[in-house]
Amino acid sequence: MSNAYLTYAAKRLGQAVVVILLAYVFTFVVVSILPGDPITSVLRNPQNGFSEEEIAEIIAAQGLDKPIAVQLWNSLSGFLTGDLGVSMRSGRPVSTLIAEVLPSTLILASTGLAVAIILAMAVAYGTQFVPKRYGQGLLRGFPSLFLSVPNFVIGLVLIHVFGFQIGLFRVINPDSFWATLFAAIALGIPVSAQIAEVLIANLDREAEQEYAAVARSRGIGRARLFATHLLKPASLPVVTVVALTIGELLGGSLITETVFGRTGIGSLVQRSVSTQDLPVLQAVVSLGAVVFVIVNLIADLLYPLLDPRVKILGGKKRTPTTADEVSINTTKAVAS
Amino acid sequence: MTERSSLLSLSRRRLLITTSVAAAAALVATTGFNPAQAADSPREGGDITFLIDSLGDTWIPNNSAISSFQGHIWGHVTDKLLYVDADGKVTPWLAERWEQNDKATEFTLHLKSGVTFSDGAPLDATAVVANLDIWYAGRKAEGINPIGLFPKTYDRAEAVDASTVKVFFKKPTLGFIPTLGYHGSILISPKSIAQPASEQADLSKTSGSGPYVVESWKEGDHVTLVKRKDYNWGPAAVGHTGPAFLDTITYKLVSEPSLRVASVQSGQADVAYNASPQELKSLKEEGFGISTPRYLGFVNGWAVNTTLAPYDDVKVRQALQAGIDRQEIIDTVYTPDWKLPTSFIQSNVPGATDQSALLAYDPAKAEKLLDEAGWSKGANGLRTKDGKPLEITLHSNPYLATSKSVDELIAQQLGKLGWKVNIRAYDVVTYGEKVKYAGPAVPTYEVTRSFIDAGTVASILTNANNGENWFGLGESDAKLNDLRDKIAGAASLDERNPLLDELQHYILEQGYFVPRTQIVQRIYVQSPTLKGEVYNGVAYASYYTAFIAD
Repeated sequence: MSNAYLTYAAKRLGQAVVVILLAYVFTFVVVSILPGDPITSVLRNPQNGFSEEEIAEIIAAQGLDKPIAVQLWNSLSGFLTGDLGVSMRSGRPVSTLIAEVLPSTLILASTGLAVAIILAMAVAYGTQFVPKRYGQGLLRGFPSLFLSVPNFVIGLVLIHVFGFQIGLFRVINPDSFWATLFAAIALGIPVSAQIAEVLIANLDREAEQEYAAVARSRGIGRARLFATHLLKPASLPVVTVVALTIGELLGGSLITETVFGRTGIGSLVQRSVSTQDLPVLQAVVSLGAVVFVIVNLIADLLYPLLDPRVKILGGKKRTPTTADEVSINTTKAVAS
Repeated sequence: MTERSSLLSLSRRRLLITTSVAAAAALVATTGFNPAQAADSPREGGDITFLIDSLGDTWIPNNSAISSFQGHIWGHVTDKLLYVDADGKVTPWLAERWEQNDKATEFTLHLKSGVTFSDGAPLDATAVVANLDIWYAGRKAEGINPIGLFPKTYDRAEAVDASTVKVFFKKPTLGFIPTLGYHGSILISPKSIAQPASEQADLSKTSGSGPYVVESWKEGDHVTLVKRKDYNWGPAAVGHTGPAFLDTITYKLVSEPSLRVASVQSGQADVAYNASPQELKSLKEEGFGISTPRYLGFVNGWAVNTTLAPYDDVKVRQALQAGIDRQEIIDTVYTPDWKLPTSFIQSNVPGATDQSALLAYDPAKAEKLLDEAGWSKGANGLRTKDGKPLEITLHSNPYLATSKSVDELIAQQLGKLGWKVNIRAYDVVTYGEKVKYAGPAVPTYEVTRSFIDAGTVASILTNANNGENWFGLGESDAKLNDLRDKIAGAASLDERNPLLDELQHYILEQGYFVPRTQIVQRIYVQSPTLKGEVYNGVAYASYYTAFIAD
């Protein structure tokens, strides 16, 4: 492990911390400048019968009338010492709220990722070995199709067909095995598109390499060629793409949970947004930023270790194949 | 509707309706569905599922007891000192009897003995004092609010002995006794009250003395209640005092109204809360139980802002009063389960009087009043005065699902008289910020509010004593002030009732309050086999007395 690598790691880590802090402050400012907060909206419920004076008094008693800068400082100092605060809506500690719903979202997101990877592999394999006249072109169109159908549409169709018509799961029991699987499929399909796109592009490139031609000329089977020769070099950029799709998985799970009626981070966010529950929103956004940054950090740090061609050089001189460059290439591949 | 078109329209609601209605129809066809010929003797055991659109925000008892959602759970987990039935009749519950002094400033409550909270603590005088104190004051710095409608004249309470509580008020407070049966006045174990707010917010850490205890709950998902076998202190008024019949009640959150109803239709759940009024007729024909209990409170209607021209003119307000066809609202938006208003308070409130004559639909009278007030009709059918149009902006109440439909109908009715009507529908948060009683640019504030005692009504209409100044009158209407002070100071119902009658007449005659319909804020659709539930004065269903008939 060279000094250059450690410097690189430290730099990435520093950037990660800055991103997380910016996400935290940004959420605070955006939610704070919107009118209203959950405490006043509970107090303003006409059934409560509080006068404006009483509302102002209660707000002041909780320190919610202080300037935004002071409130930001208080919440930021809490956040930095690991205290996520208390939900303004429910009055419960934010960490408890998140711990209560996180398992459901993790199950959904990890199943969704597994579905996405399997689907991407299947599509990519097909594009290499299904003959053109049997619909290879169609298969190559799948990623664009998957990406362009929003996952709530997929979710609704799945609920309609498998929940109501076939009756595999009951809509009022969304945590059952089948309901979870179909939610994961709805979530995984759009995510698989990005992975498949990059995988196909790289497989195409690798398939034209001399070593592949040699292997083919020696009579190696298709499946073996795919698994032992093409897949490994082609999947290196995929590591970066998978890391990038974590954001997609988290964002998509918010929608998927709502469609399937699951109680996870998504429904927590939905409730918190509709009542402007600032502490919860900040915690969830920061948590999302932390997960996203860490996963990408791991991908970036792993990259030089996985691929000996990728070298991190300190100082002025940089080779054209650093992790950054590869990330840019793969992003282009996704865009294309 | 074909399935193809519903798929193409990409509407989840429609998808669910289509498919679930189809499923329900299939079930009805295959099972030869018949309304149960129930033997109406209660049967032990059974579990029910109650589908609800939300489980509200917080479970801190003081902050949540008045919520339309959490109130269902509190009604089963906790008891009250007094019971108030759907007609506002006050009867003993955990307070077996009570006395007051002549001036209604001191009350003595005698408690039932042997009552315990589910954490084992006795429900004695000390516990009641702890509850009265927190209802009045809350713990504001901690985020525990006072109970908004608890009398602000409260001074202190003392435990005379284990079963006697003496309560003192700074001024006559005839409303104290009925308030003890109000949904905010739930008795919580002193141990739970002593907990910090963040622990009170955890429903499983709060103990009441009710017939059910919380078995499990998950925020935004469900609350499951299980019966308490040693419960033996139900209110005599409901005709049963022992343990409940049903073993468990599960409140499950299903936010889609059509899915709630379809689940009950298909037998997957027992009660669906807040169905849309339009569905009720056909559900009734299918044999499902429909309940539209009215709470004790204000009718649904407008508090008119007299600080905003032209509503400072009594003639314009009276034209508004006469220009609304209330029967058409019931025929169009609602069903015959809804009732015409007879005053600005619901007709089941003790002390409400029949002022229907003031609320008759009379477009000719309305036009005449507007002409007299100087608002002349132009060629386009709109009225103007000094070049300004006769305009009204209605802010639909986000707490009442049908509010906007009623606004749209009224817009047509007033349009015929020459009014230019604008409708704004905000979400709850924005509404709370922008729409206030007598607020700038708010000509009419739509009221949906329950109360237990009509005596509290007068005091919130003006701005004296922390009142809410509903009509923007401040202290300017001497007659209203006079009635308010006399009602607040009345020491007996005989003295108070004629004053309440005068108040109702005056408010409506002046056009300060424009009623729309009597309000039904809670709609229940239930399986035909579930019987025996009771609705209280705030229209909550209690399944304490309910059972599943064979």
